Amino acid sequence: MNCEVCQLKELEVEHFEIREVLLCILHTIVFHRALGLVRPKDVDLELFEITYVQCGDVELEEKIDEKIDHFISWVEKHPNKKSQICLSFYEVKSKQPSWFTNKTERLYWEQWYVNLNVTQHPKHHSSKSHHTKVIVDPGESATEERSSRRAMVEASLREVLFQIIKFVNEKKDHVPPISEGVIYFPYEITIPSSSDSAFGMDMIKRMLHNGHPTMLS
Amino acid sequence: MEMDREPGKLEQIVSQFRSKILHVILESRVPSLHHQQQESLSLSRVRKTDKWFNLVLGDRPPALENLNFSLRNLLDPMVIDIILVRHGPCSSSVDNLYAPSAAAAGPSTETVIERWVVQYDCPRVFATPSGAEAAVSYKKIYKKCILLLRSLYSQMRLLPAYRIFRQLSLLSQTYNFDLIYKVSSFSHPFSREEEDGMKEYNFTPVEAPPGCLCVSVTYRTTLSDFNLEPLVSLPPKIITDYVGSPTTDPMRSFPSSERGAHAISFPSRGLRSPSSIPFQRPHSWSSGFHRGIPPTKTQSLAGSPPAYRTSCKPYDISSPPADLFGNRIQNHRVSTLQQATAYDEYKLSPPFSPSASPSTPTYLTGANPLLTRHCSETAPVTIPLPLTGRSTRYLSPNSSDPSRHSLPPLSPRSSKHDASSQESPSGIRSYRKIEALRAGESPSGLSNLYSAPKVVRDSKDDSGRFSGLLSSSGSPRIGFSRSSSRLSFQDDMDDCEFSCPFDVDDVDVSDSSSQNTESKKASEFTAQSNLVGKKSQDAAVGILVHLLRTAPPLRQDSSCYSTHSLKTEYDGGVGMASGFFLPRKTADALEELNSYREMKDLLLSKSGTQAVRKEGMK
Repeated sequence: MNCEVCQLKELEVEHFEIREVLLCILHTIVFHRALGLVRPKDVDLELFEITYVQCGDVELEEKIDEKIDHFISWVEKHPNKKSQICLSFYEVKSKQPSWFTNKTERLYWEQWYVNLNVTQHPKHHSSKSHHTKVIVDPGESATEERSSRRAMVEASLREVLFQIIKFVNEKKDHVPPISEGVIYFPYEITIPSSSDSAFGMDMIKRMLHNGHPTMLS
Repeated sequence: MEMDREPGKLEQIVSQFRSKILHVILESRVPSLHHQQQESLSLSRVRKTDKWFNLVLGDRPPALENLNFSLRNLLDPMVIDIILVRHGPCSSSVDNLYAPSAAAAGPSTETVIERWVVQYDCPRVFATPSGAEAAVSYKKIYKKCILLLRSLYSQMRLLPAYRIFRQLSLLSQTYNFDLIYKVSSFSHPFSREEEDGMKEYNFTPVEAPPGCLCVSVTYRTTLSDFNLEPLVSLPPKIITDYVGSPTTDPMRSFPSSERGAHAISFPSRGLRSPSSIPFQRPHSWSSGFHRGIPPTKTQSLAGSPPAYRTSCKPYDISSPPADLFGNRIQNHRVSTLQQATAYDEYKLSPPFSPSASPSTPTYLTGANPLLTRHCSETAPVTIPLPLTGRSTRYLSPNSSDPSRHSLPPLSPRSSKHDASSQESPSGIRSYRKIEALRAGESPSGLSNLYSAPKVVRDSKDDSGRFSGLLSSSGSPRIGFSRSSSRLSFQDDMDDCEFSCPFDVDDVDVSDSSSQNTESKKASEFTAQSNLVGKKSQDAAVGILVHLLRTAPPLRQDSSCYSTHSLKTEYDGGVGMASGFFLPRKTADALEELNSYREMKDLLLSKSGTQAVRKEGMK
């Protein structure tokens, strides 16, 4: 089975926008991969006039929230850097145990890369609250600049969502069969680790773990 | 499961796929259907229709059932037009307000802002597949259909029309535009001008041999060039003649606020009397939704939320009805028509009981007495007033939540889930009761209300292919009870042994508990409204003011002061003010002032809480 990879368009966001942007993107992807019986739940973003859809699974929401919190913590330690979050879907296959591998292996059949460029220093904002607003100089010009910037981010986010929809539509054959009683496929969210800012180590670990080379799109 | 040997499996998938797509599109473009869906979703019940493609959308409105029936030839394309109707300003007269047939409507323009085309492109008729490969094929087809539906569901929320839909879904605001839909098996091509502002997106077809399922959308990229704005309500005016006013006799009885109740219960878009709409517009489901149908001003007159929200002078006797409702009603007119036809969330369509004749319902005739009430009553909006008569039942949805109108308009950014759950339940609840009553109605009676079945029958040609046009701005639930509108089509689906490849056990929860809750809440509201009617807060305030004016002056002794203040609290909680209204000598006033100073020092020396406790203990 091929592993389809989708590199989403890079988004330039400020620190306080990270949470909403990631929630929107990650939940949208998962909704399109939650092929079990779901009760779609519409969620309006507060910073942007965008509505995305969640699949309504509480456990999933908590896991995503947790990962976003970790990511925001990482961003605070590595400010003004481009970062990437990887959302992977895999199948669990059992295999012969050896000294090198475990009994089960993960066959990744799809990977989504969310590329963010966080542009503002996180000192001015709280990582826990997405209600924090940017501290800007008063004046109409600052307000106009902020609103135009916000509009650009919103447009870019909308493009990313359309990109997800397009990818989901165009590539369907690699999606595994749906198991009865399962709402969504097993998934994994990988954020840059604290030890290094490079993403390569995680990729190498994954390659060693499943034994399949990651296929580039 | 011997899926490969079941005939018509592919046909079943295609048919359900079309139904599901129609449901997804309409529930995110038609506010009335959306509210209905929110209510049904809250019941936590998974229906058989929900299991198809693993997407729980709630009850399918009867309109969808009829549309499915009329478009049952799966080889015909299903074209769904989402049409933006903009209402223009127009003049009005009192006569027009009272004459349902008057055609003093302002100009309204219709623009197709979205066109969805769902088609099963098949070179030949369905062939019954066989073999093990067929089963695998069905599963793959089904999986791909699920994926397509997921992406379509998301995309519905990203297109420009979604924002308009959200605005219209806000019940606290009225607009000069509306969204209606039209479903047909053919479409008029767009003009060049229309095409210039539109963009097309084609979902990747799902291969379903011998054909493929194709879904595409043509949509306007921007709606900012339309003058879409909320309707301006009348400027707020101060009402001096209200219950409890110092200038008003506190014992004066004010007229009952049926009008107020009506107003509260009416949706903000002026959907007052949807039931009258079918009578006025026998072909509301036809393609010419707006053509030749006089604006029924009476319907819009049935209540005008903006007028009530302002709680102002329009209701004063001094203002003539024409001035009161002229512009405002006109602005609501077409919207009311469409929403009325849609049989909106308030489900007022049967404000007519089943016994009501197909003629103009008395409820509406309606417009006159309602208008009269509008003109003569001045009760504030926020005070729930007792509902009387038949209108109580139908108005209870809104009346049961009078606080709704005292709340600020919901932000479109608020969670849709929460917002709609706040607004829709009571309305939907009432509708359910009404619908239960109407379940036993004969189709002939219902056909007077809705023309959808008529259209279906009339338009069907000899070949059996439906080529008529069905359009609506909402659910024609008024015309179809669940029991009578369940077409055999759906029953066939249920009876067929083919079930969703990923079927789960149906968890059917009876509606009895929900209905009991509904009746309970209705009765609770009635009790509350009676209580309030008997002794309104304002009347109590008036009595209190009267008592204070006649109360003895305050004494200088602090203990007596505390007692006095306690007494006045029991009487109405005003406290110390009564003593100042009696004539006194200057010396007395000075003494009293000193006592106040002492009291103040005492209070300051101790905490505010302790001071209150001491007074309470005394």
